[in-house]
Amino acid sequence: MKKRGIGLGCSWYGTGYGNGFPDVSSAFVEIHDDGSATVLTGAVDVGQGSNSIFAQIVAEELGLESQDICVYSGDTDATPDSGTTAATRQTYNTGNAVLKAVRQAKSSLLDYAAHKFSCPTTEGIELKNGSIGVKGDPSRQMPLADMVFQARLAGERFISAESSTARSTPVDPETGQGAPYWPYAFGCQSAEVEVDTETGMVRVLKVVAVHDVGKALNPTQVEGQIAGGVTQGIGFALLEELELHEGKIKNPALSSYLIPTALDVPNIEALYVEDAECTGPFGAKGLGEPAMLPTVAAIINAIDDAVGVRITSLPATPEKILQALAEKKRGGEC
Amino acid sequence: MIEINLVVNEKPYTLNVEPSERLIDALRNRLGLLGTKEGCGEGECGACTVIMDGKTVNSCLVLAAQANGSVITTIEGVGNRRSPHPVQKAFVEVGAVQCGFCTPGMVLSAKNLLDRNLKPSETEIGIAMSGNLCRCTGYDKILRAVKIAAEEGAK
Ligand code: FES
Ligand code: FES
Repeated sequence: MKKRGIGLGCSWYGTGYGNGFPDVSSAFVEIHDDGSATVLTGAVDVGQGSNSIFAQIVAEELGLESQDICVYSGDTDATPDSGTTAATRQTYNTGNAVLKAVRQAKSSLLDYAAHKFSCPTTEGIELKNGSIGVKGDPSRQMPLADMVFQARLAGERFISAESSTARSTPVDPETGQGAPYWPYAFGCQSAEVEVDTETGMVRVLKVVAVHDVGKALNPTQVEGQIAGGVTQGIGFALLEELELHEGKIKNPALSSYLIPTALDVPNIEALYVEDAECTGPFGAKGLGEPAMLPTVAAIINAIDDAVGVRITSLPATPEKILQALAEKKRGGEC
Repeated sequence: MIEINLVVNEKPYTLNVEPSERLIDALRNRLGLLGTKEGCGEGECGACTVIMDGKTVNSCLVLAAQANGSVITTIEGVGNRRSPHPVQKAFVEVGAVQCGFCTPGMVLSAKNLLDRNLKPSETEIGIAMSGNLCRCTGYDKILRAVKIAAEEGAK
C-alpha cells in the first residue's frame, strides 16, 4: 500500500568559523580609468556564486553595472586570504571585506572629485549610472572613466585593501554564556512523501522551503542555493551513506554512493524571508549549508506521519523502513 | 596505434589512437576540446556526455576506436557566447548554472532531446536529463530551462 504523510523541519545555524576563532576575509579593490573596477579576494567560488555577489557589491557602491566589475578570486599568488569557502561565510564575511574595500577606494575618489567640482564636501558627490557629479547639478557631471583618467594623469590612484573580521566569542563552559556565532541563519521546510509499505521505498512528492537570508542580494542565486540544498537533503535523508571500513571509504564511487538524479527531486518551492542583517553587506547573510538541514527532519517526520515509524539513523533506506514496519506490526517499540 | 576518422563539430579529423584510449581522452587531449568533463569515469554522472551519431553517449565509456566513422558534437559545437543555442540561453536566463561542471553534459542531453522531440512533456524532460548528475542546482532550474528552450523552439 502507498501511504502519504507530511512533515516539518526547522533549523537554525551559526554561520562562520565561530567560537572566537579569527574569521578574517580580505579584499583589494581598484577603480580604473576606463570606468571599470577590479576586486581581488581569496574567496573561492565553487558555484555558490560569491564572485557574482562581490561584483554586485562593488557595482552598487560605484554606481556601475556588475558586468563592469572584474573579480579575481582564489589565486594564492595574487589574491589576499579570505578564508575557506565553508561555514556559509563568503557572502557575509568576504562580502563585508569587499564592501569595506570598495568604500575605502571610493572615499579617495570622492575626495578627488569634490576638489575637482569645487564642492565643499564629498557628501554632495554622487556616483550613478557610470557617471560622477554633484548631486542635483546637471552641469557638474562627467563619466566616471574621465574622472579617474584625470586623476591618473595627476598621479592619483584609487586602490584599497581591507579586511573584515566576524565577531564571535568562545562559550564559557561554566556558564554557557557567549556569542559563539554571528550571524545565525534560520529556515523551515515541509515535505510531503509517499511510502510504499510493501517495498519500503520513499518518494518525496513536494518540498516547500523558506529561509531567512537577511537581504537577498541575488534572488536567482538564493533560489538555486535552496533547491540545491533541498536536493542534497533528500540524498542525506534517503540515499547517501558513506560506508567506512577501518577508516577507508568502501563506496568512493557514484555507482555505490548514490545521489539524487533529476527523477528523484520533487517540485521544490524555494522561498525566502528578508529580514536585513544589520552587520552584513547590504543586509545579507549566508544560506549555503542551512538550506539542506531542515529537509532531513521534514522527510523523516513525513515518513512517521505516513506510516507511523520513527527512523533514527540516516539514510532512511527501504530496508530500515521495512524493518521498522515489521517491528511495529509485532507490537515492538520503534 | 589505430587510425580513426571522425567528424567532430563539423570538422573531419584523422587520429592515431591507442587501442585502449577512451573517446573523452581523444577529445580532450588530442583535440583540446576541454568542455567535455570527466566526473566519475564510470558512466554514472554524464559530465562527459557528447552526441555521437544522434545519440548521447558517455564518452568515458566509449573507446576512441569505436568512434571511427562517427559524427560527434561536443559542447564546443553548440553555440557560443555571441550566439548561444536556445538551451544555453535558457540556462543563463533561468540561472541553471552553479559550479558549471555538469553544464556541458546537461546542455548536450537537452539539445539532443529537443532535436528529436520538439514538444517534450515534463516527464520526458526528466527522463532525458536523468543520466546527468548535478550536485549544485537541485535540477529545478535546469529542468525549467529545458522547458523554456522547448517552448521557445516550438514557437
Ligand atoms: S565521467 Fe563519464 S559518466 Fe561520469
Ligand atoms: S552546477 Fe555544479 S554540478 Fe551541476
